[in-house]
Amino acid sequence: MVKIQYRFSQGLLSLFMVLLALVMIYPIYNQLVISLTGDQYIAAADGTTVIPRGITLQTYRSVLSIPKVYRGVLNSIFITLSGLVVNIAMTAMGAYVLIKKDLVGRQFFMGLIVLTMIFEGGLIPDYFLMRDLHLLDSYWSVIMYKAINPYYLIILMRFFAGVPQSLIEAARIDGYSEVRILFRIVIPVSIAGIATISLFYGVFHWNEYFRAMIYLTSEVKWPLQVVLRELIVSLEKAAFIGSMNYQKMAGAAAIPFKAIKASLIIIAILPILSVYPFLLRYFVRGRLQGSVKE
Amino acid sequence: MGLRRQNLKRRIYRDRHLYLMLIPVLLYFVVWHYLPMWGTRIAFQNVRFIGKNEWVGLKHFRVLFSSPIFLKVFFNTVAISTMKIVFIFPLPILLAFLLNEIRNPHVRQGVQSVVYIPHFLSWVVIAGVFISLLEAPDGAMNKVLGVFGFDPVSFMTSSRHIRWVFVFSEAWRSMGWDSILYIAAINSIAPELYDAATVDGASRFQQARKITLPCIAPTIITVFILNMGFFMNAGFDQVFNMMNDAVISQVDIIDTYVYRVGLRKGNFSLGTAAGLFKGIIGIGLIFTTDRLSRKLTGEGVW
Repeated sequence: MVKIQYRFSQGLLSLFMVLLALVMIYPIYNQLVISLTGDQYIAAADGTTVIPRGITLQTYRSVLSIPKVYRGVLNSIFITLSGLVVNIAMTAMGAYVLIKKDLVGRQFFMGLIVLTMIFEGGLIPDYFLMRDLHLLDSYWSVIMYKAINPYYLIILMRFFAGVPQSLIEAARIDGYSEVRILFRIVIPVSIAGIATISLFYGVFHWNEYFRAMIYLTSEVKWPLQVVLRELIVSLEKAAFIGSMNYQKMAGAAAIPFKAIKASLIIIAILPILSVYPFLLRYFVRGRLQGSVKE
Repeated sequence: MGLRRQNLKRRIYRDRHLYLMLIPVLLYFVVWHYLPMWGTRIAFQNVRFIGKNEWVGLKHFRVLFSSPIFLKVFFNTVAISTMKIVFIFPLPILLAFLLNEIRNPHVRQGVQSVVYIPHFLSWVVIAGVFISLLEAPDGAMNKVLGVFGFDPVSFMTSSRHIRWVFVFSEAWRSMGWDSILYIAAINSIAPELYDAATVDGASRFQQARKITLPCIAPTIITVFILNMGFFMNAGFDQVFNMMNDAVISQVDIIDTYVYRVGLRKGNFSLGTAAGLFKGIIGIGLIFTTDRLSRKLTGEGVW
């Protein structure tokens, strides 16, 4: 009797949780459906359309042919990759030096870094800094933004601290330079840590829009998120495609607004969703690593 | 003393290559973080594009605090943050409890990996998704409400609903991800405790209340205190991407005010003063919560 009751409540709970998960993912799925719906059915497709009719990739083809959009995709890829190189190199160097317990001034350096987690100069001083460094409208302004995130630095320090000290000492005795020890021994041994912070940094760069929006004055340098934002906020198809292109881009002009928007949303999510299932465990581990205090 | 100094010198010399590696790191923090901190002095100045800025003391703060718009903005920040903490904070805990009760590992992991997804989406994307979801009359939400006989509501442009849209979308985004900490805390509870309780005939619900909850209480308190430290961040990216002219008086927060008045309208000093005001409250909150945390859990925030 107890066993049946247990099975029943288990079944009910599982059903409830699966439903919850489905409801949570549904709004995204709905965008996918709308982006795939063929143009003769698109007018009838709404928030409750579950199965796309007349499935076609035509919307994607047309949207990706808008110069703003394909440039946006390329800019996002460029900023994310360059940003990652800077992030990893800087964070790894910082973490490697700061795990040395008897380094003179270590406490002071850590304090200097941790203080930036609590207090920021803020938007306007940041903007003036970019102006004074002549980085406005330069990709460097967004690549260098948050080049080292103190949280991720601390996560990486935890991974580096797991590298056997004897290994490092042995390399020092053999006359390895510190840079070589870092890149040849410490990083390869803690590759899981590098993977974890790369994911966090990568998602950050891919999703970042605000600094790009205020620092990059030329539209041709805009990453995808800024382009998408303009579309969502302006709600104006003609302005988005551009009157110049509107005549030439007959294909894009014919697509309803909701399909353009839906396909752009999916394009903006796709890179993250396609790596997500394979790398989920790194994300979760990083979340836990970051939460444990030093 | 002389010996220690000698020793110190030797240690610095020994680590000279490490210091060399630290230079770019420190340079980054000084230029990208400490120079802007020094830059906040324009809150006490009038910005001149030709010649030197002129010091004006607390003038901009006086303007700020006597401005009804800023008072409204301050109130909005507090109101939105409070709503989020009250209604969202318990959700990941509840989710962790429910997930923990699922015995089938495939179902559990499947649900977990789905509910984490929204955390990885940008607020631009989330705003786009929610605008569609809440559209009147074609959005899924209004279609479902229509089945129960409700008239369609344009949630995004309704000043009565917009703050609830914020609570709802923030919950959607962070609930799954924030449950990870609690799930880990639950997993680290010794199984013997449950075995003993089962022998004594305690039901699953009693076990959750008498064993699980007390065991993860320190985690709950720590997370709560951390959240309180960032109370003044009512969620810039969310508000910035979801706001529109119809609801601005309900949702304009300090951070959006800094952007709009400070950067867009060019009142640089006034905007910086507003940001600085928020930052100082933030520091106060973090130090207070750190004190509190030390008292309650014996551990500080960092």
